[in-house]
Amino acid sequence: MGGYAQAHEQTPAYPEIAPSHVNGVVKVQLQFLNRRKEINYYEIDLFDKNFDELNFTTQNKIIKIGYGEKTDFDVYFRKSDLDRAVYICTASKILKSNKSRAVVSSIVCSKLGGEPL
Amino acid sequence: MKYLTMILATFALPALANVDIVGNVEAKCVIQTDKSGVYGNPIASKLSTTPADGGVLPVIRYDVSIADAYTANITHPTSFSSSPTLTDTVAWTGSTSVTQTSDAGMSGYEAAKTVVENTTIFDLTLAGSTWFSTASSAVYGAAKPFSGGTYTASVVATCIPK
Repeated sequence: MGGYAQAHEQTPAYPEIAPSHVNGVVKVQLQFLNRRKEINYYEIDLFDKNFDELNFTTQNKIIKIGYGEKTDFDVYFRKSDLDRAVYICTASKILKSNKSRAVVSSIVCSKLGGEPL
Repeated sequence: MKYLTMILATFALPALANVDIVGNVEAKCVIQTDKSGVYGNPIASKLSTTPADGGVLPVIRYDVSIADAYTANITHPTSFSSSPTLTDTVAWTGSTSVTQTSDAGMSGYEAAKTVVENTTIFDLTLAGSTWFSTASSAVYGAAKPFSGGTYTASVVATCIPK
């Protein structure tokens, strides 16, 4: 097995939805940890149950993050999309110029709407 | 004197307090890339991660902290993310298997997996670690030789809460 961790981690799995400072917009707070040495960019996305993309905003849709760094990020979307929004995911982005043999793209998702009963 | 002794005895008692240590284990999924894959080139028209073809299988480890909270969806590639210019079609095949588990109870994951097109779905019903490897093969149209250059394709490993 590898001599060092190559991990992608996003928490919480079931985040809470909170009101934002903008009327009609809700906010979800998440935390992200990059322990993939060869990856420095991750993309944030919001999906419905069929993994179709929904509109949202965040400070940076592509996060630049170094190895071993942890970051918090907020995702904002319309309150009217609450019924449709299901998954918030971060996906590793592999640079085309990357000479490493990084052929594994990792995607970790959180699910809105609470834990399953 | 008797009262004084009682008062002193009271002060001599050790102070006791209960300090609670509270821990919370929440659902968490960590995807570890244990090994990146390498394409071998056993014949001019074929690229393959299979060791018999000179390749290296990518190994992906999923760590889940809570049982029955996630599915692992692993998609083998159907196109190159970067390659020299190709003028013909490429025939892709692939598969994903469980190669190692941290719990004997996970041995059923392989038999219970479902395959939807090029995605293999594993129901992570137990807490712990599971290692998966993905075989990928690309054969260039009409047995043409692949042009010289670097070929990269991505296996997509997704962890989805239930």
